[in-house]
Amino acid sequence: MQEPPAEPVKYIDTNVRLPYHYVAGDYRARQLRAFKDRKILGSRCAKTGKVFIPPVPNSPESFAPCTEFVEVPDRGVVTTFCIVNIPVIGRSLELPYVAASVALDGADISIFALILECKPEDVHMGTRVEAVWKPDGERQGNHEDILHFRPTGEPDAPLESFINRL
Amino acid sequence: MTATLRNVAVVGFAQLPVVARDEHRMATEMLYPVVREALAQVGVERDAIDYQVSASTDYMDGRPFGFVAALDVMGSWPPRQDLHLEMDGAFAAYYAWLKIQTGEVDTALVATHGKVSEGEPDRVFNLALEPYYHGAIGLDPTSTSALQASAFMARTGATDADLARVASRSRAAGTRNPDAQLREAASAESLQRTPFKVRPLRDGYLPPIGETATCLVLAAEGKAETLCDRPAWIHGTHHISELQTIGARDLTRSASARLAAEKALAMAGLASAREVDLVELLATNPVEELILLDALGLEARSGGGSGPAINPSGGPLCAHPIMSTGSIRLGEAFRQLAGRAGERQVAKAARAIAHGAQGHCLQQNVVFVLGSERRWS
Repeated sequence: MQEPPAEPVKYIDTNVRLPYHYVAGDYRARQLRAFKDRKILGSRCAKTGKVFIPPVPNSPESFAPCTEFVEVPDRGVVTTFCIVNIPVIGRSLELPYVAASVALDGADISIFALILECKPEDVHMGTRVEAVWKPDGERQGNHEDILHFRPTGEPDAPLESFINRL
Repeated sequence: MTATLRNVAVVGFAQLPVVARDEHRMATEMLYPVVREALAQVGVERDAIDYQVSASTDYMDGRPFGFVAALDVMGSWPPRQDLHLEMDGAFAAYYAWLKIQTGEVDTALVATHGKVSEGEPDRVFNLALEPYYHGAIGLDPTSTSALQASAFMARTGATDADLARVASRSRAAGTRNPDAQLREAASAESLQRTPFKVRPLRDGYLPPIGETATCLVLAAEGKAETLCDRPAWIHGTHHISELQTIGARDLTRSASARLAAEKALAMAGLASAREVDLVELLATNPVEELILLDALGLEARSGGGSGPAINPSGGPLCAHPIMSTGSIRLGEAFRQLAGRAGERQVAKAARAIAHGAQGHCLQQNVVFVLGSERRWS
């Protein structure tokens, strides 16, 4: 018979492997395809007219369906932001950088965006920004087709214009 | 004699037909039209419903706190009282019933979702076992069910042919259910020729794993009559759990299903499960069905004879959308009592039992006894 181990067993290792194959869904798939053409799609609430990005089948707010797809410009306004001084797993960005919420013109909900091509201290609530796309022929129809956003140099947007779209 | 409780009824039920994989919609996108349809059935807008419970598992969704995504498609704004259960929807319905009993709310939505095809359910259910011995040796629901089946067959003398007959009866019933995933009849002889997946369970004795979304509407007396012309009143319900450790239980019987059924029947004022017209059981293989029938004090039968119809919908052997399978049992009981069961309608159905289960080898059981008349005056 085997002797018990001299040292008590204190731990066991368990490797958990759970692979997933997510369905994009027809709404998001349509948005991703549009990225190839440098287009950003949203969906419009049938009740309130609000535009959601990415497009969703219903308004979380009004519970009404969003059956109409609408294209919105690839530019908008920084509604809120933060300056990141710590590295993020899986991305090698020069520190510090700005992570912002950007309300695209014509959208009623903001998206998350990386703001580059400026000093972090130059970004503030109301800064006008535009998307920087991968060149033609290189876009794959995924979220990396938009490399980042950058300031346009336009005058700041007034607070009232985006305070309800944070 | 149990105390007088609030009369609470199932007044609406909607589901998507169960499929192996919906390529076009995420889980929440599947749920949204179902919630809308359930509300349309009862003829009200979301504002008219007081409370909501959702049932799903994050491991199946493949994201932590995945259940919060359901809020976006359930009409949760302005903010509402909400509960989430990491269990099958049948248990969620039990908690909605409890909440209505408090008097704090009169109406509730009970929604389920589970995009089962996106992950690997066997791996997920392995994690439901304790990690040191049972999980580590790779047990999954089929192998724990096979352990249970062997033990049951040894104790009772049930044979392979008996299992085939139970499965065949389910498959025949499933042909009449447009929401079922498997809608082809199969003879007992043909099922007995299917290969063993984990002996003694053959492919033909195991459920097709699929996905759907469901939504029940529950309402208390006073509201229920305005929402539905034929509510399915909950006469009794109970929920019992057993030990996780499989070796610590008698796998050939379900003590928790027996106790839950006894308590639910007593609440309903019934002496026996034989007094109902139909029974919908969350039995994922023929042995589970036989164990549950034993727990309910019912005889196994393969069609004909007296006693309630067993799984007239075809049951889980024709559609097993994990997290929704129990909800569908309750929904089917409602459809039968409301006269909405189409080709599978049980004639003059006035009383039904709906059962839900969770965990390996029927670890947790919930039983509902329903009737077409109010229970308490």
